[in-house]
Formats: sequence, C-alpha cells, structure tokens
Amino acid sequence: MIKKILFIFFILMGWQAAQAQVAVIAHKAVPVDQISSAELLDFYTGDIKLWGNDEAVIVFDLKPKGEVKEVFYKYLGKSPSRMKSVWMKKLLSGEGDPPESMKTEKELLEKVMETPGSIGFVAEDKVTDDVKVLAVITREEG
Amino acid sequence: MKKFIFFGILSFLIIISSNVCAQSGEKPLRIFGYFQNEFSHFAGNAVHNDTRNTFNLQQMNVFFQKNISLKWSAFVNFEMVNNFSSSKQWGSAKLEEAWVKYDFGKAATLRAGLQIPTFNNLNAIKNRTPLLPYVVRPIVYEASFEEVVTLEEFVPGRAFLQLYGFMPIGKYKKFDYAVYLGNSPNINNFSTRGQTGVDTTNTFLVGGRVGLRVGDLKMGVSGTMDKTNLFTRITNFFNVPSLEPFEKRDRFRVGADLSFQNDMFMFEAEYIDVSYEEYSSDGLNANVIDRLEGFELDLAFYYATLGFYVKEPLLVYGTYWRSRTIEPYFLDLQRGFVDERERLNVPGFGFSYQLSDRVRLKAQYARVNVNVDIGGNMIKVDNTSNFYSAAASVFF
Repeated sequence: MIKKILFIFFILMGWQAAQAQVAVIAHKAVPVDQISSAELLDFYTGDIKLWGNDEAVIVFDLKPKGEVKEVFYKYLGKSPSRMKSVWMKKLLSGEGDPPESMKTEKELLEKVMETPGSIGFVAEDKVTDDVKVLAVITREEG
Repeated sequence: MKKFIFFGILSFLIIISSNVCAQSGEKPLRIFGYFQNEFSHFAGNAVHNDTRNTFNLQQMNVFFQKNISLKWSAFVNFEMVNNFSSSKQWGSAKLEEAWVKYDFGKAATLRAGLQIPTFNNLNAIKNRTPLLPYVVRPIVYEASFEEVVTLEEFVPGRAFLQLYGFMPIGKYKKFDYAVYLGNSPNINNFSTRGQTGVDTTNTFLVGGRVGLRVGDLKMGVSGTMDKTNLFTRITNFFNVPSLEPFEKRDRFRVGADLSFQNDMFMFEAEYIDVSYEEYSSDGLNANVIDRLEGFELDLAFYYATLGFYVKEPLLVYGTYWRSRTIEPYFLDLQRGFVDERERLNVPGFGFSYQLSDRVRLKAQYARVNVNVDIGGNMIKVDNTSNFYSAAASVFF
C-alpha cells in the first residue's frame, strides 16, 4: 500500500515538475475573456494598440530572465532579444513604446490589477481573483 | 481635382481633430536619439594608390515624440550627417521628419506632415542605424553618401500624407499597405520662382507599397510616380531658354522586397528600377534637345544580405549590392551625347554585436568595383577598391 502511495506521489511530483504553467492576465475590465497566441503577439509587437472598446492596450513585461518569461516568449514564437529589436524599431519609427518591465511577478500582477486596459503574464500559481486570466500556457519539458 | 483633394484632406483633418481633446492618453514629451561613429580605412586602388584612414561621425538623429492623446501622436526627427559643422561647412543638418499621426485602429493610420515614405523594406527605417547591422548601408540608403550619390533618384525621400496599415488574412498572415502623396522633389530650385523644392503646381509624388507578412517572412512590391528636373544641369550648361520641358519628365520607380528574420537567420533583399520619360523635341527648337532624343536614362539597384546569429547578440553576414546607371554623357559640342553605362558591384561581409540594449558594435568589409563604359568603349574605367570600416551605434 505504502509503495502504491509513494508511486502515485512521485508520478504526481514528476508531472508537476515537468510542466510550467504561465497565465496571461489582464485587467478585470478588458472586453475579452480569452486570447489566442496570434492576438497576443499583435499586442506585444504593438501591431494592435486598442481593445475592441477603443481603450488603450497597455502591455507589461518581466525584467528578469526566468522560466515564466521563457515559456511566455516561446508561446509568442519570438525570443526576448528579437522582441527587443521589434520594440526598438517601433520606438525609433514613432509607432509605439516598449512595454514597461516589472522586476517581479508580484509587481507585475499588482500593476495589471490597477491599470485599466493592461495585460501581462505570471506563473499560474501566483494569479489572484483581482485579474482576469485570458489564457494558460503549458510547456511540457523535453 | 487638386482643389478637391486639398479641401477633402483639410475637412478630414478638421473632423478627426475634434477627437484630440476628447481623449485621454497624453504623455510627456520624450527626447531621444542615436548616433553612429565610424572608422574607415581605404586601401587604395589603381587610380588612387594612397591609403586613407578616417574617423567620422557618420550620422546623428535626435527625435522629439509626444503622444498627444490615445490616437494622436507627433514626431520630429532632426538628422545631422558627416561631422556636421556649420562653421567648417562640413556635412549637413536637416529636418528629416515632422509629422502627426492618427490611429484608426489596426487597419489604418494616417500620417500628415514631412515624413519618409514606405518604399520596399528599408526606406522608412534607412536612417535608424541602431536597427541595422551595416556600417555602410546598401548604397541608395546611405545618408552619409548623399553628397556624392543622388540617393533620392533611387528611392523617395519624403512624402507629406501617408495612409498605412494592415489587415489580418489568417492566423499569422497580414496584408500590409501604404499609399502616400508628396511633392515631386526639386521641381523648383530657384527661390525667385517661389518656394524651392515644395512645388506641387504641376504634379504630386504618388506612391505606395503592398505586402504580405507570413510569420517572420515579409515581402512586398512598391512603386512611385512623379516628375523630375534631373536635366536642369544640362539646360544650365547650354543656357537653354526654357527650362520647363526638362523639369517635368515623368519618373517611375518600381521596387520589390523580401526579408526574413528569426532567432538564427536574417535575410533581406530588394530590387529597385527607375525609369524616365523619354526625351522629346516636340514643339522645341533647341538643338541640344534634338541631340538627346533617343538616349536612354535608366537606373537599377539591388542588394541581398544573408546573416547568421552565431550567438544571440552576434550577427555575421555577407552582402552584395549592385547598381546600374545608364545616362547620356556629353562629350563635346561636335560629337554631342553618347551613352554612359556605369555598374557598381559591391560584395562584402561584416558583423554586428549588440553590446547592450543601447550600444551596437559593427565592422564591415566591402570590395567596391566600378565599371564605366562611355560611348561603347570610347572611354572605359574598371576600378576596384577595398574598404574596411568599424562603427559604434549608440542609442540615447
């Protein structure tokens, strides 16, 4: 019996470790409930700057490199350095501003909570009821 | 028709400007820019066997940007090239852009004011040196060469009204478009005849680009139509009484571009062809014009660059440019004009290293071959030179 419980425990632990879940979060009042990777990319590249209700899309990024950021950018299909060059091009063309980068996920969560029209990403286990979850990104390891 | 266009544009701007104050989103004025300093070494050639080394502040741009409201923003770009100094009369300084734009959403943005129009892949960002891996850009885009190369013959330099945007046509596919209006450049170079270079009395510059983006792949075709006074130097030389027939020759530019960039590779290629209305002596009694009839004037340029990211901040690339110019060449009063055919072949390679978010280091080698044939072997020049350059592009 103990062996069976231990087996199930280790399987569950292994499953947990093999997955990194990142939540795409937005301010509670944004006019959508879910978002595709293509739409998310349009927001993060600045191709789309307004929500359907004409409110500005305010994009937040995470400063430190880490698994959450890696999973998120992989989902977008661009590396962080490639995204930086996209933002630099927008900035130097007068077409938009790079997103504000937060030092921690907690800071990012609070910023999204208090900024109308904002969107960001944090680890799923950090999400609270004060923000809207538009997508959950799961990456299974190797 | 022109009055209709003028009043149409004016009414449109008045209507949409009513939204300016009604929307939030105003942000403080931002001032930023960049400069690129280079060191170049010219290794000499058969004609000039002396080597030359030069430090050069190739370019500096200062931007002023202001989000006036959620949908309105303004942008001003001052550009200085080649160690600009008014006291020493070096280089040049100019107001490159000053525009206001209105975002209708993803489908359309309207820009009004002095701006660099969209043409192929590189034209609109040609002077943004921190974005480009080159020390010396493909020649028709190299602002620091404008004293020696007629850059604006190949690509449009400025427009005054541009509508652009994109339409999604699938999950990762987008249809891009841009249409613009501007002046035919330098129609008037004489201040005694009104404002110089800004005359739309006879014609506009009309142009645009349509393109497709599929993920990291981008392609498009571009075109412009305007009129040019390329031949005033000829009329001045011969003191031809009427300049008008030379000032209004139709000019057509056609371009195609293809580019791709991901985390491992970058590729970009462009083709540009410029053709001009043929000379005609109809209704004129000038012998000079008769002599020019039948001669060709045609410009073409293409370049391709293939780069590989050795490691994320380090890009190595190989590049090749080629230009072809065919124009009438004046030998002397007895023999008149003959065809001059000039070819420029520039293979090269280089690297760029993104030292930090704000500093990009660059190095480049170019082997420049100039081949000139005047009058079918009457005069021939075939000259090859080697250029080495290194630069730092700094964003501030």
